Amino acid sequence: MFLAWKEIKYSKTRFALIIGVVVLVSYLVFFLTGLAYGLAQENRTSIDKWEATGIVLADESNLNINMSMFPKELVDEVDASETASLGVTSSVVQLVEDSEDDDDSKVNVTFFGVNEDEFIFPEILEGESLQNDNEVIADISLKEEEGYELNDELSLAGIDTTVTIVGFTDNAKFNVAPVLYTDQSTYQHIRASGFGERDDEIISAVVVQTDSGELEGVDLGTDDLEIFEIDEFISNLPGYNAQVLTFGFMIGFLVLIAAMIVGIFIYVLTLQKTSILGVMKAQGISSGYIGKSVVGQTLLLTLFGVLTGLGLTLITGLLLPNEVPYMNNILFFAGITTLLIVVALMGAFFSVRTVVKIDPIEAIS
Amino acid sequence: MKLIELKQVTKTFNDGRKKIEALKQTNFSVEEGEFVAVIGPSGSGKSTFLTIIGGLQTPTEGQVYINEEKFSELEEKKRAKKRFDEIGFILQASNLIPFLTVKDQLRLVNKINRSNFDKNNAKALLDELKINELSDKFPSDLSGGERQRAAIARALYHDPSVILADEPTASLDTDRAFEVVEILGRETKKKKKATIMVTHDERLTDYCDTVYVMKDGVLSKK
Ligand SMILES: Nc1ncnc2c1ncn2[C@@H]1O[C@H](COP(=O)(O)OP(=O)(O)OP(=O)(O)O)[C@@H](O)[C@H]1O
Ligand SMILES: [Mg+2]
Repeated sequence: MFLAWKEIKYSKTRFALIIGVVVLVSYLVFFLTGLAYGLAQENRTSIDKWEATGIVLADESNLNINMSMFPKELVDEVDASETASLGVTSSVVQLVEDSEDDDDSKVNVTFFGVNEDEFIFPEILEGESLQNDNEVIADISLKEEEGYELNDELSLAGIDTTVTIVGFTDNAKFNVAPVLYTDQSTYQHIRASGFGERDDEIISAVVVQTDSGELEGVDLGTDDLEIFEIDEFISNLPGYNAQVLTFGFMIGFLVLIAAMIVGIFIYVLTLQKTSILGVMKAQGISSGYIGKSVVGQTLLLTLFGVLTGLGLTLITGLLLPNEVPYMNNILFFAGITTLLIVVALMGAFFSVRTVVKIDPIEAIS
Repeated sequence: MKLIELKQVTKTFNDGRKKIEALKQTNFSVEEGEFVAVIGPSGSGKSTFLTIIGGLQTPTEGQVYINEEKFSELEEKKRAKKRFDEIGFILQASNLIPFLTVKDQLRLVNKINRSNFDKNNAKALLDELKINELSDKFPSDLSGGERQRAAIARALYHDPSVILADEPTASLDTDRAFEVVEILGRETKKKKKATIMVTHDERLTDYCDTVYVMKDGVLSKK
């Protein structure tokens, strides 16, 4: 470490540049990870909020909740420790006072029809719970990004109904759109608008929670329904898997390439020093000692660089506007930090091999 | 006491089909406090001779003894260890580490030994070589002569029994060269080292006890 540190202090500019590269590269990786993770989360926060074990959909829906509908009575057939009926429909809303021609003020949302006494009913962060028909609890992002307030009245596209925001909840996004929770009767009204009036109350799904966390033993009682693990349901959300895979591969390769860049830098740095290292070996300084200082130096550089990159990412995350789907994930960040450092160390060990091979005679003659 | 002894040492290089006898059979020894010079034309085998003594290459035949221990037959790692402990190298272009100050060059020895920096010894040594005021400077800020004196300090600091210098004056003007050789001679006597200096310049041998001439791999006393 003596050699490693003294050299860094002596060649300040050179090492500052190398650390700069490490910082920028890791900043890029961390930041992209935060964005990708944030986007992925916007597909599913409303689902994760349930802490559910499984979800029951209509047999023919092919895991697409928008295509799943069945009479409300079928809920009673499902036998599990906790069940909750859920209606889902997407819609477009707009503040009543905004002009209908103003497309910018229109927002894509998803309506969740829920019952207050069931476990998927959201916690209220602000305002109060549903009392009457045509009231909604909205995702807080509508307040943060669109400036909606409590008691704002929203008009719905294609239907002559307005709803009033009586409360806000957080982490309620479904398929990148904010969720509006309403009671079942309001939901029936909104959903039916597309299909004409119906006699039956139609719901989309039954969300199931079991004590064991397993779906085994959950009895559906009818062939018209099928039950899925909640994770399977999430990965089959439209576009979700493609998104996660694309970003996953992008970030994976980025980490690899970034780590290789760092490794190559260290390797070139060692090659440049061959003659000095040869002289050291001629004096009897062991390859082990020199190797240790190469590895120590790499650790110092990457640790400092990667942690600075991480710090920058966290700061950027705080400064980003709310519209940007950025989210920190400690697990991913820790994983990437480890990976970057490990691969850089591999570059260092590669350099140590060259140190061992240096022939001191060549260095001194 | 013989600090360096070579018994029937030869070195042959296999260069493709040709065999180059860089060092023909040599018997040679250096006593404690003896300052030896080796002169001879380019390509005559001087560096080969010196690097075999320093254990950087092994002799084809024969043995090298350093401080009465069979040195040339030790395994690589032990040889490096003994080289570090017992031999001080001074090379043509200085063998200082560019990113260490003069003082840190000495301190490095302690770091490797896991011993404490010997402040008094370092100061005495640097004072003697008249470079104490330069102890916080980097090699690039020193003149050629100062650099060679720092290299001598580095070679002497851990108190080796043998000093090997391969053309230590090559980058110096005549005055500086004489100064450096004089210092080497003085330290050899005072600290009872066995010192071998390889040089092109016959005038520099005035300070030496014994002068050898190398010619086509044959070493003979002058
Ligand atoms: N590794 C090697 N392989 C083949 N031949 C070598 C090798 N090392 C040295 N030689 C040969 O051995 C002979 C002696 O070389 P050496 O370097 O000892 O000469 P020198 O006296 O130090 O010359 P100079 O004064 O130019 O430094 C030369 O002919 C050289 O070509
Ligand atoms: Mg030579």
